[in-house]
Amino acid sequence: MPQPTGVIVERFEKALDDLDQAASFVKSKYQTDVYQEANRLIEMEDGLDHLFSHAERFEQAGVFQDGPWESADKLQPPLVAGSLRAKGLPMIIEVLSELRMLAIAEGKATNPTVSKEMAEDFLNEVMVLNLDILFPDASESTRIEDNENSEKAQKLFQFLISHLSSKALVKTLIYEIDRLTAQRPIMIKRIVSMIQTAKQMTDADSDPEDQQALQKYIAALEGPSPLSNKFKDLNTYRAELKELERNDLISESVSLAKSMRTTGLVAPHHATLIRFLSKRMPGLLTYALALNSKGLANLEENQELVQQIIRASIFPATRQAIYGLSLMLERGVLSHSPVAPGLRRLIELDIRPNVRKDLQQAGQAGEGLTANSLLVAGTIQVLGQPLGVGQGFNPTCQAARGISLWAQHAPGFLLEIIPRAARDGDIDIMFEGQTIHSENLQGGLAPNLHTELDPVSLVLVPHLDRIYSEMMTRVALRGDDGHRWVNPAFYGNWVQKGFSSAFDPLTGYVLDYPGFVKLFYATHHPEYNDDYELIYPNPVGIFITNVHGKLLGLHAISITRIAKDPTDEYRVYFYNPNNDGSQNWGQSIEPSVQGNGEEEGESSLPFHEFTSRLYAFHYNPYEQGDAYAVDHSIVNAIHTLAKDSWGKDYTWV
Amino acid sequence: MDLDQMEVNTSVGQQEVNPETKPYLTALIGWSLQAIEVAARMERPFVVVGPPEFESYAEKHEIRFVGWDFNKLNEGSDQLYKKLNALGVEVAIPLYEECVEWAGALNARFRKEPRIFNRSLLLRDKGMMKRKAQIAGIKVGVFEEAHNKEDVVRFLRRVNDALLKVDGDVLDPIHVKPLDKAGSVGHMAIRTIDEIDLIEENAFPLLMESHLDGQEFSVEAFVHKGKVQFLNVTEYVRLGYSNFVPASPSLREKRPLIEEAVQQLVDAFEIEYGVIHPEYFITPNGTLHFGEVAARVPGGHIFELIERAYGFSAYEAQILCSDPKTTQEELDAFFPSPYDYKGYAGCLMVHPQKDFVNDLEVPDELEQNSYFEKHDLFTPAQGKVAERIGFGNHYGTIFFFGEDSEEMRYLLKEYEEYDFYV
Repeated sequence: MPQPTGVIVERFEKALDDLDQAASFVKSKYQTDVYQEANRLIEMEDGLDHLFSHAERFEQAGVFQDGPWESADKLQPPLVAGSLRAKGLPMIIEVLSELRMLAIAEGKATNPTVSKEMAEDFLNEVMVLNLDILFPDASESTRIEDNENSEKAQKLFQFLISHLSSKALVKTLIYEIDRLTAQRPIMIKRIVSMIQTAKQMTDADSDPEDQQALQKYIAALEGPSPLSNKFKDLNTYRAELKELERNDLISESVSLAKSMRTTGLVAPHHATLIRFLSKRMPGLLTYALALNSKGLANLEENQELVQQIIRASIFPATRQAIYGLSLMLERGVLSHSPVAPGLRRLIELDIRPNVRKDLQQAGQAGEGLTANSLLVAGTIQVLGQPLGVGQGFNPTCQAARGISLWAQHAPGFLLEIIPRAARDGDIDIMFEGQTIHSENLQGGLAPNLHTELDPVSLVLVPHLDRIYSEMMTRVALRGDDGHRWVNPAFYGNWVQKGFSSAFDPLTGYVLDYPGFVKLFYATHHPEYNDDYELIYPNPVGIFITNVHGKLLGLHAISITRIAKDPTDEYRVYFYNPNNDGSQNWGQSIEPSVQGNGEEEGESSLPFHEFTSRLYAFHYNPYEQGDAYAVDHSIVNAIHTLAKDSWGKDYTWV
Repeated sequence: MDLDQMEVNTSVGQQEVNPETKPYLTALIGWSLQAIEVAARMERPFVVVGPPEFESYAEKHEIRFVGWDFNKLNEGSDQLYKKLNALGVEVAIPLYEECVEWAGALNARFRKEPRIFNRSLLLRDKGMMKRKAQIAGIKVGVFEEAHNKEDVVRFLRRVNDALLKVDGDVLDPIHVKPLDKAGSVGHMAIRTIDEIDLIEENAFPLLMESHLDGQEFSVEAFVHKGKVQFLNVTEYVRLGYSNFVPASPSLREKRPLIEEAVQQLVDAFEIEYGVIHPEYFITPNGTLHFGEVAARVPGGHIFELIERAYGFSAYEAQILCSDPKTTQEELDAFFPSPYDYKGYAGCLMVHPQKDFVNDLEVPDELEQNSYFEKHDLFTPAQGKVAERIGFGNHYGTIFFFGEDSEEMRYLLKEYEEYDFYV
């Protein structure tokens, strides 16, 4: 028999009173009791209501004093989920902190640094970031990661949502959807679940503007043309297609293609249409893919192969590959001689049972698709959207960066290693005269790969990850950053042999930082590097910092271009494999993903801001410009940015 | 420690400047929030002398603070006295073991009685402490100081020879503890020659003692002008794990004996002011053996238990008794009769019984037991959870309160076995 809620409520109130009356320096002594009683309440029916009825007092009483949750204005929505998932104190204080925010948002409490609106925005963002907790899906991963706290978290979010205005939440959701779709990731699960949530939350009272914005996305998933909207059922839709005149088919094709091109999302009907056209009227495929002239030329040149690919891999379950196919044709990838046979080989490849199982588990179940279909569809997506490759929930940025690079510049090589891994269970890469076979290796950065990945990554990352780790191990004791040798060997000859790093990996000392900055300008900035263009993506290392500029860790990205943006400022455009290219890095450094001349999947920053987060890059030693010409004020500004952020964790010499 | 560094220099000028600072300050030596809270509540002007890392916290909360590294002894040590004297400090109160001789040195200067410092050293060297007790006729076990492992081997043999053990007999254990560490820090029972190897090299020099049989308990005696003003007996259920206040009736019967022994100790050690925390063993026939004594806040949450059982703040008592200016009337008004307690207050200190812990399970029966008051156990952090905040200990404490000492003892024993961490 659990204790009656009343007793606990009373004890909580007593503990809160004691804390309130305690002198400021001794709060920590009384916080423990508040946390203990709060923890009991969190577990009880109506417990959150009781807690919330005191939430306006929390801050004043000192519930958060002297801890990480002290300043409400410094809290960050992305960290909420982690605390809630953690057991013990972080979870308890996080719940109390959310209730404090809610009290501010509802005007019950005031805070000198957080306004009502700010608190509401904060909570909205927390909700949006934690849709998976709010609306748990039955996927394998949620099931595995389920822990007792997720129930508490769910309870908290349901409590919050019952208090928040759905209007604001929908707005935040739409903003997030815009931001994520702009990056055109291959994996769209998160986007889809956001759209579905937003759809559930809108009603007649919602802002018409939001409804309209949302409608575009809902339609993209459910039927963007009048016909597909009318006949949601794919069988009926297919039957209806047969009745259409050529002109109607063209307009149907155009409207589906338009939706796909504007959102990056593909409706299942689109797959039905493409298969239908490919069989009956292949001439209309160009409309259904909305191809530009280059794409059309590529399609015409490879008509038979494309139809074969469609037959083998374009199904409602793999509909996103239609977008990949369009972009692949426009990139002209099929004109590379090894690509056509490489793709044909995949269609009939004898895939190993374990890989087959992995692919089918990750793909939609119950659609009757073969592993080969999934793999071919995934390959098309990677070839069409090289910058849409993501590392998922794995620390395998290097592997993702490799797949992306090869998809852009070495599709033949990529089509070589995919069958090696899928059929032979092995990939071999030469390193300094020795062959490294992934099948002989263990460990890597992600021994338990999180499988929410595109099919190509799913097949390749376990191997690439182990090989990369092995290479790094072999050079670990050389007294210099191992990437100097590993990157060219791992990624291939596209990586330049010159290498510079901001700090000494053995001592952690930052040595000659101005020299490092000047060298980057002299080799990369068009005004100092004698106009050498960046030809292949440059795999560089960056310091990832949080919104306060605090160092979180090292991360691998690739510079894709350096160019002037629409306002004539030089920007670094880069590919970030972390699936979220626009995080806030502090010091007002916020990579953007659209609006500054980015191509789909690119992030960008002004040149100097990017430089301030750089820690290692490759360069062509024969293509150096005028390092001395880089202005002192530029170097100093970057120096300050660096020192005040990640630099605090390093010794500067 | 180099004694001459501490020698009192009576020619220091500023002493004559203001012999009567009004109001004078009390210096709390060591960082303890409980003590600070009480000093503030008493509206007593005070300054905290603590490790420098607390400086920013003190500044944030406007606590008068002098940062001091208690482990560093050099010519500059005199600076602490000068600083405090300039602030108008007249009383220094030690809160932790490592602060005892610092407070002693300071009080020696404040009261111009050099010997106060030497007395405080007596409390910091377990060898000296034992010898002093023995000279004063207090019953102690057989003891010796050891400088290396050979000394320990010899002592273990000698003790067992004296007990007429022959080859093949199970040896009587001996106890070793570093000379200057608090309470049970570094304490080990040695039962075999092989176990001697387990002693860490940095534990030397250490004190070796023969094993004393009997029930162990501690006393918290608040002393003013050399007279015990209040004496609490804390009953140990298991040393380092559980204890309760006041002692159960069987031990309470022995109070007259205990009071006499403690006053004897106070006299022998010439303790004038403050709190002492001696530990004794009592045999069934009523013989008391002296274990050791400290002059600081005791561990095991004993001060909190005293407050719960008797209703006065032991920290406040310590501050009052440490100040020579406190009057006997004030003390008489402050302390209750030792027989006048509200109930038994006990606590269980929970240590995880595993090397790796995942989760916390506090049984409902415990939470619903009428003796259960509160606990401060939290589910341990897992994986890459951010490190949390002030509570240094990896384990927590469960507090009980009730009418019956037998029930208290039963609960403490019962839950000591329980594995709260899984």
